[in-house]
Order: sequence, then C-alpha cells, then structure tokens
Amino acid sequence: MIWAGVLLLLGTFTLPVLPYLWASASNDIASLDTVQNNPRANFWRNVRTGTAGYSAVGGPEANVLINNDGQNWRQFRMRLLAPYGSYLMGAVLFTIAIFYALRGPVQHLSNEPKELLLRFSVYQRVVHWFTAILFWILALTGLILLYGRFVLIPLFGSSGFALTASASKEAHNLFGPIFIVALFLLVIEYARDNFYRKGDLSWLIKGGGMLGKHASAGRFNFGEKIWFWLVLLLGTIISFSGIILDFANLNFDRNTLELAHVLHGIAAILFISVSFGHIYLGTIGTKGTLRGMTTGYVEQAWAELHHDKWRPDDGATPEASRVPGAPNE
Amino acid sequence: MSDFILGPFWNFAVIVFTAGVVGRIAMILMCGLSKDLAAARGSSVKGAAGTIARRFFPRKETIRSNRFHIIAGYMFHIGLLALLFFAAPHVQFLKNHLLGFGWPAMPHWAFILSAEIAFAGLILLWLRRVMHPVTRLLTRLDDHLAAWLTFFAMVTGCLALFESFAGLRVLHVLGVELLMIYFPFSNLMHAFTFFLSRGASGARAGRHGVKA
Amino acid sequence: MFSTSTSDPEPDFEKGAVALKQQIDWRIASYFSSCVHCGLCAEACQFYVETGDPRYTPIYKLEPLKKVWRQEYTFFGKMAKALGITKPLSEEDFIDWEDLVYDSCTLCGRCSMVCPVGNDISYMIRKEREGFCAAGYAPDGLKEATKRAVDTGSPMGVTWKALSAQIKHIEKETGLPVPVDIKGAEYLGLLSSLEIMGFPEYISSLTRILHQAGVSWTLSSETFEATNSGIQIGDSRVAAELVERVLKVATDLEVSNIISPECGHAYTAIRWESANLIGKPIPFRVVHIVELLDELQRNGRISTTGKTDVKVTFHDPCNLVRKGGVVEEPRRLLNSVASNFVEMKQHGVMNWCCGGGGGVSANDRASDLRLAAFNIKKRQLDELGVKTLVTACANCRNILEEGIEHNEMDVEVVGLTELVAEYLDPPEAEESGGAP
Ligand code: SF4
Ligand code: SF4
Repeated sequence: MIWAGVLLLLGTFTLPVLPYLWASASNDIASLDTVQNNPRANFWRNVRTGTAGYSAVGGPEANVLINNDGQNWRQFRMRLLAPYGSYLMGAVLFTIAIFYALRGPVQHLSNEPKELLLRFSVYQRVVHWFTAILFWILALTGLILLYGRFVLIPLFGSSGFALTASASKEAHNLFGPIFIVALFLLVIEYARDNFYRKGDLSWLIKGGGMLGKHASAGRFNFGEKIWFWLVLLLGTIISFSGIILDFANLNFDRNTLELAHVLHGIAAILFISVSFGHIYLGTIGTKGTLRGMTTGYVEQAWAELHHDKWRPDDGATPEASRVPGAPNE
Repeated sequence: MSDFILGPFWNFAVIVFTAGVVGRIAMILMCGLSKDLAAARGSSVKGAAGTIARRFFPRKETIRSNRFHIIAGYMFHIGLLALLFFAAPHVQFLKNHLLGFGWPAMPHWAFILSAEIAFAGLILLWLRRVMHPVTRLLTRLDDHLAAWLTFFAMVTGCLALFESFAGLRVLHVLGVELLMIYFPFSNLMHAFTFFLSRGASGARAGRHGVKA
Repeated sequence: MFSTSTSDPEPDFEKGAVALKQQIDWRIASYFSSCVHCGLCAEACQFYVETGDPRYTPIYKLEPLKKVWRQEYTFFGKMAKALGITKPLSEEDFIDWEDLVYDSCTLCGRCSMVCPVGNDISYMIRKEREGFCAAGYAPDGLKEATKRAVDTGSPMGVTWKALSAQIKHIEKETGLPVPVDIKGAEYLGLLSSLEIMGFPEYISSLTRILHQAGVSWTLSSETFEATNSGIQIGDSRVAAELVERVLKVATDLEVSNIISPECGHAYTAIRWESANLIGKPIPFRVVHIVELLDELQRNGRISTTGKTDVKVTFHDPCNLVRKGGVVEEPRRLLNSVASNFVEMKQHGVMNWCCGGGGGVSANDRASDLRLAAFNIKKRQLDELGVKTLVTACANCRNILEEGIEHNEMDVEVVGLTELVAEYLDPPEAEESGGAP
C-alpha cells in the first residue's frame, strides 16, 4: 500500500521527464523530426504563405482565415486558466498541509482483536481504481499540456518538450474515452448509497467529526456524498467537452470548440483540486480508510468511529461477502 | 541509440523470441506421455479439436459467476489481436519484412476503438488480479511483468500513432522487443501452449467419450 | 498371487519428491505453461464456492507439483533455485498442502471443464497424490481404508462370509438364484462394499433384471470388490494390485465382460485406469451397470410396465459424466420408469459433486468441509422441490443421504438400478406374454 503510494508519487514526477531522457538519448531523431516531420509545422508554414479568404470547402468557417475569438480563447487559457488554476491547486494543497500539521491523522481506537468488516466488494474496488488510474493519467497528461511550457521548458529545455507534449496529447485523447466508461460504471455502482439521507446535515454541522464532536454517518458520510455528486457533475462536463475536443474533426465550429475547451479546463482544475482532498482523507488523513479500498476490509473500530450507522451487508455484493477474512484465514 | 534498437537489438529480440518459443514447446513435448491403453469410447482427435475450439467460449453454466472476467478478458484479447494484425503500420510491417503479402488494414477509427477496448480490458484484468482474493493468491511477479510490458508496448504504440516523431516509434519498437524477449520465459507462452493444453485435455476427454 | 501388501512400508520425503517429479508428463508441463493465473477455476469448485476460501482454488491445490515443475523445467525456476532465491521443495510443502490435496478435492473434474486454457486440473491432482502418498502425507482414514482393501479385499473390511449371507437372504426374497463362481459366464459382476452393507437392494435388483434379460453372469467369491482405494489415495502399486485381483478372477472364470457396480470411481478404476495400471490392454469389455441396462433395454431385453409419477431428479456421479461420458444412458433409463423427471439446473457434465468423491468420504477429518460443500447440492434440490433423488453411485448415495439427514431435508435417495427393477415386468408376465 505504502509502496503503491510511493510509486505513484515517483511516477508523477518522473514520467513527464522520461521523454526528455529518451529525447536526449536519441537526440538525432528528436531534433531532426521537430523540424522536418511534424505535419502541423508544415501546415502552419503553408498558412503563413498567405492564401486568400476563400475556400471551396463547405465546412464550418472554412473561409475564415483568422478568427478573433481564437485570440480571446488563447488569452483566457494563458492569462486566466493557467495562473488561477495553479493558485487554486496550490491553495488546496497548502490548506491540506496546514490541516495535517495541526490536526494530524484521524485515529480510531484499535480494539484488539481486530474484527474486520467487508466495506467494498471486489467489483466496487476494481471500478474505483479503474476510474482512479485513468483520472491520474488524464490529470498528469492534461497538466503537462497546460503547464508544460511554464514548468518543463524552463527546467529541462525545449528540445524534448515537443516529444513530451505530443505523447501527452495522444495519451490524453486515447484514455479520455475510457475514463468516460469508468465514470459511468462508477456512478452506476455507487449511486445507491450516495443519496441524501436524514442525519447528513447534522454530520455537516458537526464538521464531519473534525470539530471534536462525534458525527454519525451511514455507509457514506455527507462529505463523501458531496464528492460523489461532484465527480458526477464535473465528470459529465469534462466528458462531454472532452468528446467534442477529442473528435474535433466531426464538424464542430470553432466557438463550440473554444467553449468546450474553456469548460474542460475549468472543470478539470476544480476536479483535480477537490481530488487532493479526497486523496488526503482516503490515505494519510484518516487511519484505516485506505485498506477498505485495497483489501476491501475495514476494522470494526474504524467503522464505529466513521460510519456508525452502516451495516456491513448494506452495499457489498453477495459474491464477495462470502469471503470470510483476509486470504490466509 | 535508435540505430541499435532498430538494428542489432531487434534481431536479438527476434532470435530470443523464436528460439525461446520453439525451445519451450520442445521442452514441454520432451516430457513424454504414457500411451493410454484403455479401450477408447470416442475419438481423441475429434475431442482435441473440439476442446480447442470450444474453450474460446465460456461454458454457459459459468458465465454468471465469472461475467466480469469474461467481459474484460474478451475486451483485452480481441482488442489486442485487432491491433496486432490489423493496425495499418503492422500490416505494412508484416508485408514488407516478414510475409511478403498483406491484407486490408483497419481504418483509423477502428484502430482507436480497438486500442480503447484493449486498454480498458487490460487495466480491468490487472485490477481484478490485485483485488480478488483468488487471483491475489495465485499471482506472481511474472504475471505483473507480463501485464506491464504489454501495457508499455501498447501505450508507446498508440503514442507513435501519428508518427509525428520517429522517436516515439523507436520507443514502441523497444517496448515490443522487451516483450518479445520476456515472452518465452513467462506465462505469456499461453498464447502458444493453449493449443497443447486444450488439445491434451480434449484428446483425453474425447477418448473417454466426454465433451469437454 | 498378490496377497501381500505392496504399499511402501516407509514412505519418506525423498520418495515423495521423486514421485512428484515422475508425474510430470507433457500434458502437465503444458498445463503449467499455459496457466495464466486467472482464477476462473475457483468458481467451478464447490469447496471454494461454498467457503469462499481462496486456498480452495483448484490450481492452488497444485502448488507443490507446480513448484517441482518450475524448478526442474523452467529457465527462471532453475536459475532461482540455483541462486537460492526460491526454496526447493521441502517437507513443509507436503505438510501445508495435505489437506488441500485430499480433504478439499473430490477429483470431481468440474474445474477441468471450465479452464480457458484447457487445463485438466483434476488429472493433475490425481497425479499429485502419488507424490503425497509416497511421502507419507495422506489422511489416516484413507490410509486405513487402503490397508484394509489390500489385506481383506474390501476397504470396509467386508468379507465373503458377509456377502454370502446377504446372497442367501436375497435368493430367498427374490426366489431367484444369485450365480456365484460360474465358469464361462458372459459377465462378471462386481460390487462395492457399501452396496453389500448399506444397499443390498442393488444386488437383488441386479439379479432380477439380469435374470429377466437372460444375461449369463456371475459373482466371484474370491474377488467381488470393485472399488479401488489405491486410486483415491494415489498409490499406483496398490491400485494395480487391486485391479489385478479383478482381472485374475475374470480370467479364471473366462468371462468376456466386467460389470462395474453403481459406483463412480470403481468404474474409472476398472474401465479407464486398469490397463494403464498394469501396463497392457485388458481383454475384457468393461461396462457400468447403467450402460449395460440401457443397452439391454434398447435391445428390448428388459421390459418394464408403468412409471412413477413422483417428481424425481438425477444426480450425475462425476466419474460417469466427466470421466466416462455416460450422460444419456441414465436419462433414457430414468425416463422409461419415471414420467416426471426434472433436471437440476447444472447437470450432466457440469453437475455438482456430492462432496464425497475421490476418497473424501473415507476421510473423517474432512467431514465438516464436506458438509459445507453439500450446501450447493442442497440448494439445487430445494430449487426443484423434489422429494426423490435418483443416482447411480453407492458412494454418492451414501454422502447424499448424510447431507440430507444433516440438513434435516425430506428427500429420499434411490439407486437407478433399483428403480428400474421396481418397474420390471413380473416374471409370470414375462413367461406367458413372452418377448416378441
Ligand atoms: S482457470 Fe486455468 S488458467 Fe485460470 S487459474 Fe485456473 S488453471 Fe490457471
Ligand atoms: S476436481 Fe472438483 S473438487 Fe477437485 S479441485 Fe476440481 S472442482 Fe474442486
């Protein structure tokens, strides 16, 4: 578990750099290609030769050579989305760090012997991590596309960035549609237990138990429920706008694409920011939570503290609930 | 570096792969088998052929309890085979370097779709592997290596898709080479030995008059 | 000729390790090479399905054999062993796996039907037991049964005296002679101890049916036991000896056919394993009683009147369906005497085992696990709501009755031969009407 976390962090920092190493190792190819083989470069070179504003092609805006909205969109992306997005994500991380320093992890009293309860079935765990892995890939590649030029180019130079950016774009486009499927499966599987129930409000008033008083909750507390619906909302926005961007060749006009891109960017930054909170609370923030999502089992004491109104057979599928304990009895 | 990967290392990988696969199969067959002396009730040849064919499909009695695995398994294998044999660059490659003839490649959209399906299947299968108590118990490092190497080869292949950078294509070749070198030493061998195992069981069952 | 025990007096680890290695043929090598650790076989095994314990995954029961294969036949395995990275096979492996190999496997073969790469897992477990037995790690219950079978001819210690008392009783009851030691008879009948002691109805039914069909048959007073503990425990030499005893009387009595009784593994032993155990083809045709009855009925040699209209279902003995392909025969027979025969959801080659095959029934310490495994049968029966369960194996019948009693269910278990005999035309009708 710890190792998986370490690996994840390592991966986050090393993966964007790897193409650089690769590029420097095979310098000959990368530098040559960027000049000669990149079709987009050739395309723009052609445009710059100054063709007139008429086209026999009947596609949307086929006869528009320079679109002023494009400049506005560019301004938004570079002057608003990128800087404010980074402030937001930074602020969230900072808040979490401060909170952790002050409050520390939430501990449940460990009563011996540890009795284990099944919290998530195999399928529920698989779907969760399926979504999580894809989210991580997309967040990483997306951030490279947005911030690569601010972070990677100054740090490591521009020769390898073309490779990194191109690889990120392809990966982002490739894994995006799979994320939509994952999201769909996730929502179907988890919706049942995430509707508002009586008592959720008082959980919120008590600050989810973080303010000292015990806050009782069912299988999912109100915070988790809010996260669930946020995932659905932001995920939907990201999915639809993402499809438009991914299949831009399907005759969308430029304004649609720009709008899709603006929404995609805002939703993604929000999604990533909130996910920091989710990851914090699921791992180092509260002891004993992560194992529920890895092994499927949580300790009885953990359940009493965080989800006292939850009965273990509420949400698990029968297939997994017959598994009596951790593998070796 | 890229010269090395596209040249000598490629040849090395091809040799290890071919010799390894042939050697492994030879080693299996060399273990011998005592002849079945009991009077037959049916044909072992028919039994072998039948089982080899039938095990491509799950038995209907087992579909319910294994549905997740069956769906993910089909997704991965069908997606992968489509990519392997019908991706345009692959068809081109086989035609130019190996077979001398080609066949129609799939269109771009089908390539993307196959890749999506194969990736989804592979990730789901791997997740099930690390989540399900049974597969947790059975899984060894070998299984992870096989999954990750396949993932790597597939991912680099898709990144190299538009061949905007020859560097990415070389990376893909490297991924495939690593996979090929690892192949004969791992249970990736099932891609070949499933013929033997299904055939062996089918022949025996066929002799006993059992439709296995 | 084979009167003394050939089972090894001092089993030890070394012998077990050697025996395990000897089991590896190309079939097994291909199985291990193909296994992708998908775990699909787990859902086929009732011990896993009913307990949820991943250790009962069929292929996991083969870890010791697999270890030997990996360390002797694979590149990385050999290397890792040479470098001391992996531990070689040790006594520990035998100790840790004994219960998995014997208690939690009935050799039912259901897992072998589902593996996507086609692994015949039960074939391997049968082979693996050879190693365990040679190393001395087998359950006491099975060891004792094997010893009794070698010493007395019957795993339950049933003697000819007991059988001849039963025969006298049956002759009185049926008014028909039970042929014993008739030289030159066409068929040699065999029995299982369980039938002699628990279900003698089988012997009287057999007598009546074969009499009506005009089959010339005989029992042997020297060897009447068909079951073979050597196969269950995994001791080929004992298994061969027990088989030789049968073949000897068959030769002496100059029969040309051998009838396996209503017993699954006895059928496997004599029909499929005998020739391989003694290393040469056998000059006899071996039929299971169900096969024979079906054949006789289709040839018009047995005729029945009337049918039961009670709702009945049929429990397939694993050895018949998955080792012998005897699927349709019992159904034809059953339909000829029952008008309301319903199938369980999973039947034929995908039936669920009674839970007591492969020597599990002789292994006392496995009884809790066996009863847990029986739950699957219980659910099947409850689903159909039948009160009468027909089967064609005395061991199945015994285990089923135990499970039914344990669960306080209201189900009666009947042998198929017995059911057919019940609707047999009475002898008078046969004589006056005559068969066309
Ligand atoms: S089903 Fe077959 S391939 Fe899968 S784990 Fe079992 S034996 Fe191995
Ligand atoms: S043969 Fe039957 S009891 Fe044995 S492992 Fe396979 S399914 Fe389970």
